[in-house]
Amino acid sequence: MSNLDRRTFLQAGLGVGGLMLSSSLSRSWAQQGDPIKIGLIIPLTGATSQFGATMGQAAKIAEAEINGAGGVRGRPVQIVIEDDQSNPEAAVRAAHKLIDVDKVVSIGGSYASAVTSAIAPLCWEGKTALLTSSGADSITKLPHQGYIFRTSPTVTLQGTSVGKYAVELGGKRMFFLGPQTPFAQSYIDITSAIFKAAGGSGGGLIYEDKKSSYRSEVDQALKESPDVIVLGGYVPDTSVVLKDLYRAGYTGKKLGFSFGINDALTKAVPAEVSEGAYSLIPSAAENSEAYKRLIGKMGRPSLDSYSCQVYDHVVLTSLALARASSGEANGTAVRDNLRAISAGEGKRTDDAVEALKTVISGAQVNYDGPSGPLEFADNGDVKGVFFRYEQVQAGKLTLRKVG
Amino acid sequence: MISYLIFVGTIAGFYSLLSLGLVKAWGQGGLVNLGLVGFVGLGAYTSALLSGAGYPIWIDWIAASAVSAAVGVALCFVVRNLRGDYLAIVTLGFAEILRLAETNEKWLTKGSDGISGIVAPLKNHLGDNFAVFYLVLTWVLVGIVAFVLNWLLRSPFGRALRAVRDDEQVAAVAGKSVLRLKLQAFGIGAALSGLGGALYAHFTSYIAPDVFITQLTIYIFLAVTVGGYTRLAGAVIGSLALIALLEATRFVAALVPGLDAVQIASLREFAIAVTLILVMQLRPDGAFRMSNERSGLGASRPGPDACYGKKAVLDDGT
Amino acid sequence: MLTDLLQYLVNGLIVGALIALPALGLTLIFSVLGFVNFSVAAQLTAGAYAGWLANTTLHLPLVPVLVIAFSVAGALGVVTDRIALAPIRRKPSAQTPLMVAVVSIALSMALESAYRFSFGSGLNSFDMPIARDMKIGGIRIGLQQLHNIEIAIGLAVLLALFFSLTKLGKAMRAVADNADLARLKGIEPVRLANLATFIGMGLAGVGGALLAIDTSVDPSTGSRLILLIFAGSVVGGLTSLPGAVAGALLMGVIGELGLLILPPVYQSLTAFVAILITLLARPGGIFSGASGVRK
Repeated sequence: MSNLDRRTFLQAGLGVGGLMLSSSLSRSWAQQGDPIKIGLIIPLTGATSQFGATMGQAAKIAEAEINGAGGVRGRPVQIVIEDDQSNPEAAVRAAHKLIDVDKVVSIGGSYASAVTSAIAPLCWEGKTALLTSSGADSITKLPHQGYIFRTSPTVTLQGTSVGKYAVELGGKRMFFLGPQTPFAQSYIDITSAIFKAAGGSGGGLIYEDKKSSYRSEVDQALKESPDVIVLGGYVPDTSVVLKDLYRAGYTGKKLGFSFGINDALTKAVPAEVSEGAYSLIPSAAENSEAYKRLIGKMGRPSLDSYSCQVYDHVVLTSLALARASSGEANGTAVRDNLRAISAGEGKRTDDAVEALKTVISGAQVNYDGPSGPLEFADNGDVKGVFFRYEQVQAGKLTLRKVG
Repeated sequence: MISYLIFVGTIAGFYSLLSLGLVKAWGQGGLVNLGLVGFVGLGAYTSALLSGAGYPIWIDWIAASAVSAAVGVALCFVVRNLRGDYLAIVTLGFAEILRLAETNEKWLTKGSDGISGIVAPLKNHLGDNFAVFYLVLTWVLVGIVAFVLNWLLRSPFGRALRAVRDDEQVAAVAGKSVLRLKLQAFGIGAALSGLGGALYAHFTSYIAPDVFITQLTIYIFLAVTVGGYTRLAGAVIGSLALIALLEATRFVAALVPGLDAVQIASLREFAIAVTLILVMQLRPDGAFRMSNERSGLGASRPGPDACYGKKAVLDDGT
Repeated sequence: MLTDLLQYLVNGLIVGALIALPALGLTLIFSVLGFVNFSVAAQLTAGAYAGWLANTTLHLPLVPVLVIAFSVAGALGVVTDRIALAPIRRKPSAQTPLMVAVVSIALSMALESAYRFSFGSGLNSFDMPIARDMKIGGIRIGLQQLHNIEIAIGLAVLLALFFSLTKLGKAMRAVADNADLARLKGIEPVRLANLATFIGMGLAGVGGALLAIDTSVDPSTGSRLILLIFAGSVVGGLTSLPGAVAGALLMGVIGELGLLILPPVYQSLTAFVAILITLLARPGGIFSGASGVRK
């Protein structure tokens, strides 16, 4: 081989490295100027990427609102979005880039539980706040020194709520169908227990995800002749299960979670297939204007809970830093001030701009966002979330009740 | 920025170990292991579980390599008579089965929750210096492995192995123990994957089944192919090129105006894939092509590849 | 119990039919060009998107939708093959088939990213009514799914006729057997390679459209299934067209029957064990002796 070619190849490699270095250096110089950087790690590609697009849009709206109101202590906020590629290994690399190069004060988004667990140690070791929309109970049990705030209710709480609602709808024989997840078995146990306590019965089956047909799984479920089927899956598998349930002639009730039955799902199946399916969505109180305002700004009829949460991740970070007495913009300041602006006796508001102005005026504020009232327990779990119970009617999710 | 480069350098070392293992098994032995990531996971879980049970880290890492090697040798033995493309599908499926087991055997692996808090060596003592220490440790290991492999490849064992790769029948006629050579090559490759996995687990302190997906196997194959799949130096250069590409695209894609987040992310993955295709077109043999490595048994004879059916690819360029 | 067994058998055939056409395409391309073209996954998705666009914007019914899916996937297959893969095939060496296969994975990744760039990550549904299944003797059968099997077998038969009866088909077989010999006879390999790629990728595209009608289309529709498609093709012997269809159906059936003995979360295990056993019993693939493109 000619040495010339090898040299060209190596030079090209060095060139790429140099480009990377100079591009990131220019960014870290910029940081000595004004903007406060808020990182987002969201699923934009890969298996869990159904919400990534709306998550990014919601965050941009929060950024624009905060900056429109004058920013945080005269400094604009800037969101920096990285893709988790639906893969914890890629997410760890993305988190290192955000923490080490962009020097973000917090990382928001983080949707898949494995992604959140993978980047959590980097966050608390790097003194960066982590605001997550993952539900797995294990996350807030990590030794996170207060840096983790979870805006999604735990999966256990969601499972309990779905079980109770299914009983309320008059179900007697419940069957759970869902892929293997950290919570699949506990969903079966929780909902079965609720049904048995109400005089009914419960069972379940955990399947393999990524399949293009669940006919045999549906056959096994229908053998128990259930009148309620709880769907514990995500959008890709739930859409296939719903179609196979329809083909099999199942006419009973169908209940799912916000990660499975949502706008993305109603687009993925014909209207007759999703008709009547219920979804449980973590949400703000019924009279909250925040959610309506956000979907208005996004020009959408409705929005999934996770994108609402990402909007709130940006707002919460900004408000916490606006309150920080030290005036320093870093992860520890976010951690130490976040509870003070989202709970307590201060002025209650569900408007981010109003909340920011109140904080800057020096008064106490209690911000409630489109994703919920946002009060956090000591371990970082969110408290007092409401649930919107929605039902698919003619291909659109329609509100049934808030509770 | 420096701490980011240190981190990226460490990951490059981790990729290099996997690439060296692949060069050994595929480049030198002709054995296509598309289940590479399965052995990475096996090593990572072995080491994490042993370390959780209180064993010291050096034992965990040796055990991780040993378990991966043993499973690799066993798998290779079972499929010893299969053609190359069949070996590819069997190893690919095997990795998928391992991922299923990691996901479902919660009593052992904690399922898809993953294992958190895997201890890193000396992290408490070193504090801020830990990152540099781990970078050096990783690359020292890469150096040792490359040195040993290089010595092996130059030894009679290495020549015999290449003879098997180039033509099994000729090698067998020449009195080489084809099976033993294959098992050794595959086992060494699996052991290095396992060691890489263990290094990764203790570095990031968290593993889950979703870490070990086929995407990583593809990346390593591309790294090795770009570097020149038969060469040790190619494995390391290819790994460095890979990580540079993976990370540089982050910065470059974000500069394109007028795109939404999904489009930026898609553009980044598109750029990664297209760059790899372009490099392969410009340098089909990789940065370091096969050279100075006669097996002595017909490597110079451009014949049909015994491991890949009896048919060369259709040459439509003439 | 017997009903269960029959029901799972039917379900398995339905799953297998979904991957039969892409497996057929993969096999055809391997037979003529001599490498495993993993970008069949991306062309499957291309056919699904093309069909979806034709159906939802032009409101076309099934048959024109499938024709469009075939043409778009086939054309895209040839164009991307010429741009990305052909230059690497120019200087063949012993490892070229595997190199091209690896690069075809990169090509598939690039195309998947392009779909995501254009259409987003969401899942998209065809605008076609879904029929409830019929019950025949206690067995649940989907009529739409039955069509999938018919189409797969029909196309396999058509291909077999093409290869045994037409001049062009015979020429392709000649190339598959011996490229040098074919060249001596004045057959131009490039044209035949393009034709094989067009038909192979077109078949994958039709399979993708049918699959997407059955489920939905998103950027990863094809890559989610590539392992199963590859497995079906391998079990069928990689060079036998009837083998590819039979291998795909077999993979589907074994997977569903596995549900009788294993927990559903380990369903892939049965498929894997089945591949292993068949390959160990017949190292050339089950249908290695069957007639196909190559004898």
